Amino acid sequence: MTADAMRGADPAAPSVGRVAAGPRPGMTGDRPEQLPAGGTAHVVLESVGKTFRRAGRRTVAISGVSLRAAAGELICLLGPSGCGKSTLLRIVAGALECDEGSVTVAGRAVAGPAPARGMLFQHPMLFPWLTTRKNVLFGPRAQRAAGTDERDDPELDAEADAILETVGLAQFSDAFPHELSGGMQHRAAFARAMATRPSLLLMDEPFGALDAITRVRMHDFLLRMWEQYRITIIFVTHDIEEAVLLGDRVAIMGGRPPGIREVIDVPLPRPRHAADVDTEDFLTVKRRIRAALTA
Amino acid sequence: MSGWHYAPLGATAVIEAQDQARPEIGHGAELAERAELLAHRQAGRRARFRRLATGAAALAVLLVLWQVGAAILGDQVALPSVTQTVAQFAHYLVRPYPAQGKPLWFDLYISLRRILIGFVIGVTAGVAVGAAMSGWRFARHLIDPVIEVIRPLPPLAFIPLFIVWLGIGELPKEVLIIVGVVPIMAVTTVAALDEVPEDLRLCARTLGASRRYTLLHVQIRSALPGILTGMRISMAGAWSSIVAVELLAATSGLGFMIMQAGDYLDTALVFAGIITIAIAGLILDTCLRGLLTLADPSRRR
Repeated sequence: MTADAMRGADPAAPSVGRVAAGPRPGMTGDRPEQLPAGGTAHVVLESVGKTFRRAGRRTVAISGVSLRAAAGELICLLGPSGCGKSTLLRIVAGALECDEGSVTVAGRAVAGPAPARGMLFQHPMLFPWLTTRKNVLFGPRAQRAAGTDERDDPELDAEADAILETVGLAQFSDAFPHELSGGMQHRAAFARAMATRPSLLLMDEPFGALDAITRVRMHDFLLRMWEQYRITIIFVTHDIEEAVLLGDRVAIMGGRPPGIREVIDVPLPRPRHAADVDTEDFLTVKRRIRAALTA
Repeated sequence: MSGWHYAPLGATAVIEAQDQARPEIGHGAELAERAELLAHRQAGRRARFRRLATGAAALAVLLVLWQVGAAILGDQVALPSVTQTVAQFAHYLVRPYPAQGKPLWFDLYISLRRILIGFVIGVTAGVAVGAAMSGWRFARHLIDPVIEVIRPLPPLAFIPLFIVWLGIGELPKEVLIIVGVVPIMAVTTVAALDEVPEDLRLCARTLGASRRYTLLHVQIRSALPGILTGMRISMAGAWSSIVAVELLAATSGLGFMIMQAGDYLDTALVFAGIITIAIAGLILDTCLRGLLTLADPSRRR
């Protein structure tokens, strides 16, 4: 993603050079929905399992999870609290090690956190002592300290400004996190994650603590950003509507031991908007997923 | 203990309403929000000025009450007036008291030196102990009971012991300060480091920061306001310790000077000494508070 490409796109425009679909085309178009087994899927989980041992007690957090995500796909992990969806996300992030199975991202086994796999949390987790702009620059600067980013200051500054422009925070580059509203803090966190140019974004109920109105706004924001950056997203949520609105596919989690029970396609056209939740097609998918959840 | 607000979202947001009202991300709305932010900052500065003015007014009223009270009482030994106190202060600031003694500035210098030496050593040791306790479970289990036993003890209780062990030179005074500072700093450092959210660390790691970089630039940086708050608390304790030990077992320092002035019934000079301590303490605390404001932007209001 070049700075020009990001600036060229008007953030207010609902779609970026993509035609709003006419009759139901389903999940077709230029996004490969599901690659064949053994193909070059971006994220591959192979019978992943994790058991926590604490004070002699064993708790199976997840067991036998297999999932493939194509490059540029948005997959939602949907399930009730305690179904292991956050654990699974942390395993993909490299924050937790799985004790069974394997996790491969872009052809490489996951070992520890890496900037290619960005993560967003329920709390934006901005660094309170840094301005928005310096928050965005944290990743590139930390990587430069580690010798994995060669870019110099003017280059980084230009990129940070471009990203802040894209997320609509250009006027707030010198504001501190406590001076931003909840929605702005999340947009800043998104900008910070994108500054390291990840190919995969892991989102752990990122809008769970927002009020309903801001949440809707953030849904539109995320959909627009995803159309623009075209990266793979794994999105954890316990909200059926959110999962249907955002996801290409919804992986339903639960059961004993916890795992993925079913993966359901969401055959709704792109680009989508938060307002689409009232359409009949949307409700049909939503009903289907609710049935699968309660099954 | 640390000053960060990982509060529920929106609870502290200042421009929430603006964000809600906007239809889309666009430049018009953004500029309006920008103006809102600047207005908010300016209002913060005005509020700060008003707060300082109110505080200064309270102090002025106190001085007036004191002066009037002294005039009514008319007893210079029981309650000298403000003007008499100021006169004594100005007189002995550079002239020795008593005649064969030291001037006030020298006693102030002696007391400050004792405090700063003890404070710097105590803070360094306390932060190190706290960091070890936070990062290493065994160290926590080992040191925690020791600190919990020492912490409630007033450092003053150790004075006779230190005199027996270390004499009446400079060392026992500095050790006394250290004994008071270390437990407070250890406890506040542990609390501040414990309060750094695990996800903040993970966040830094997923942004490409090494473990070392994360420790320095995120964990310790995030705990800094809490550590500075601990320093403010220990500084206040250090002042009471040093004055007490100087009253009891010293031949120099502000506490010693006050004791002497009391013996000679020079109450105005006693007041001058007390006010010197108050001003010196205030200046040191203001410095620490300035550092705290630098370290925690959410306090700049």
